[in-house]
Amino acid sequence: MKDNGYLDDRSRAGLHPIAELRGVSKRFGDVLAADNLDLSISSGEFLSFLGPSGCGKTTALRMLAGFETPTSGEVLIDDQVVNDLEAHRRPVNMVFQSYALFPHLTVEQNIGYGLRQQRPRLGKDTIREKVGQALDVVRLSGFEKRRIWEMSGGQQQRVALARAIVNQPKLLLLDEPLAALDRKLRKEMQIELQDLQRQIGITFVLVTHDQEEALSLSDRVCVMGEGRIIQIGTPQELYDSPRSRYVADFVGTSNFFEGRVTASGAGRATVVLKNGMPVEGRVTAEAAPAGEACVSVRPEQIRLSRSDRTGIEVVVHNRIFLGEHTEYLVRNGTLGDFLVLSPRQSELNDGPFNTGETAWASWEAGSAVVLEKS
Amino acid sequence: MTQRARNWLLLTPATAWFLVMLVLPVSVVLIFSFGERGDGGGYVPAFTLEQYANLPARWAAFKNTMVLAPLGTVAAMLIAYPLAYFLAVRTSQKWKTMLLVLVIVPFWTSILIRSYAWIFILGGRGIPALLEMIGIEGVRLIYTPFAVTIGIIYGYLPLMVFPIFVSLDRLDKRLLEASSDLGARPWATFLQVTLPLSIPGVATGCLLVFILLMGEFLIPALLGGGKVFFVGNALVDLFLQSRNWAYGSAVAVTLIVVMLVSVTIYMRLIARLNTQREDVSLM
Ligand SMILES: Nc1ncnc2c1ncn2[C@@H]1O[C@H](COP(=O)(O)OP(=O)(O)OP(=O)(O)O)[C@@H](O)[C@H]1O
Ligand SMILES: [Mg+2]
Repeated sequence: MKDNGYLDDRSRAGLHPIAELRGVSKRFGDVLAADNLDLSISSGEFLSFLGPSGCGKTTALRMLAGFETPTSGEVLIDDQVVNDLEAHRRPVNMVFQSYALFPHLTVEQNIGYGLRQQRPRLGKDTIREKVGQALDVVRLSGFEKRRIWEMSGGQQQRVALARAIVNQPKLLLLDEPLAALDRKLRKEMQIELQDLQRQIGITFVLVTHDQEEALSLSDRVCVMGEGRIIQIGTPQELYDSPRSRYVADFVGTSNFFEGRVTASGAGRATVVLKNGMPVEGRVTAEAAPAGEACVSVRPEQIRLSRSDRTGIEVVVHNRIFLGEHTEYLVRNGTLGDFLVLSPRQSELNDGPFNTGETAWASWEAGSAVVLEKS
Repeated sequence: MTQRARNWLLLTPATAWFLVMLVLPVSVVLIFSFGERGDGGGYVPAFTLEQYANLPARWAAFKNTMVLAPLGTVAAMLIAYPLAYFLAVRTSQKWKTMLLVLVIVPFWTSILIRSYAWIFILGGRGIPALLEMIGIEGVRLIYTPFAVTIGIIYGYLPLMVFPIFVSLDRLDKRLLEASSDLGARPWATFLQVTLPLSIPGVATGCLLVFILLMGEFLIPALLGGGKVFFVGNALVDLFLQSRNWAYGSAVAVTLIVVMLVSVTIYMRLIARLNTQREDVSLM
């Protein structure tokens, strides 16, 4: 069992890495699908690969599973280099995006498939018992004799999950396992996935291009772009301290204001925005940007005000009521459009604002992040 | 027009075709089979079972057909399967089409010409002559059941390759990865995933080839040289040579019945194979 956050401290403390990528690259003809990946996966953690379509997430996963051989670099599982170890010899199981369940077998036979491959052979009763337990875990008891095509999408997804976990792999790889499900079912399955991982303690590596999914489920998220790892960190680190505009943009929503750096030091920098306003922000990258830079501010960190005439003068351009929050699209003549997310509480004090109304946008100095321009 | 009327309209051409080209001739043959031979050949109306009583005289033809048709089917299947597997699973998309075309190319030449080629290859100046050169004398290949089987395999291979290829090509390759991921060695994956999922293709191919082989006469005529003959050859003989239409019809009706019975048994077996998999226990 683990708490959120607890495992991260453990993994930092040098918990044993279950799998590693060392300078791994994979080339398909002209396409460099994986570019010098370095990654260490700790035992028991829930890691996500997050990135846009075609950035090499599946390729990275397939190299861990043994379906692709790296063009260069080393893949390690349990401290052993496994570059040339075939998939069927790796202590790793995968949940395929399309599930890849065997259509000619029943639910029970699908789940027992991996167990039946083990040598020395497992007894029939052992297999039946383990399959029963796995069915319990994914809450599908009673469906043993069903055919795959008699199961709904969500049920199939759970069969695929059971088929993988029943083998108690050292590493469970999940390639967008929830992508085919509708929103409501996806939410439910996300919670189930997280519970499951805590319950069985297997290391999970999840591929997704849904940032919300990655942030809510993972201990650590590995943000990828164009075959490279852009930043690895806990969801909170990525959200609060993105080291590049790419990450700030991909993880959550952010507003970017361009300007020039005028001073920097001690992890902070001052940027003069295009409207001449100086803004101070944290520097998250190794070196503070010089010259052109951009300031990233999350919409929920910006406060709109009528009375307090400090910050940026804006005109409210659009308002969307979201229940707990209200989202405003506001416009400033020189800085352009940006988003503001006001919690209901502050709305009661100083709002709501109507379309066309003039207001003042400001944020706490610590909430802005100064990043390279692109 | 109602949906019902439209359905009938859709079925009309096929129904007309079947009535004129199948039901009518089969009925004629059935009626003829109870008749008698005229003095100068042909058919004289009668109702007698005499023709059927005479069937044992043609036993050899039935025996050859019933042995060589299944044998040829199985042999063709055993050769076609690895070929289809190679084309469907191991060949890149680029080469697939071209290699498939190469498989069909023989179909573009007349079976007559292709069988003549085999007469030369298997005949006295072909393989036996080569064997003589290395000291093996007196081997006879042409006009033997072996020659007929060779001809059958050669002639029907493409017909067998295609359905098997289609079933293997349609097979989701991720299933093979999933199997391997779950720890199955390549051979185990083949036996547990590839083979069961290609059974429909194999079944279709075998059925097609078997049915056509039951009515085959050209290959035995050319490569069997009158020594190995099928029911088809008997029919040619009876209708065209001895002009004994009544007896010929009785032989034809018997062939149809034998074919229907074997196909029914075969379909039952295949269906059993499919349902058995359904309730196979965990092993
Ligand atoms: N077998 C292959 N042959 C050639 N190119 C490939 C192959 N597999 C992947 N690629 C290329 O490698 C790049 C990365 O592909 P990959 O499937 O890893 O992306 P992904 O991040 O999983 O994308 P998605 O979110 O769409 O699944 C893509 O440009 C893709 O076209
Ligand atoms: Mg992918």
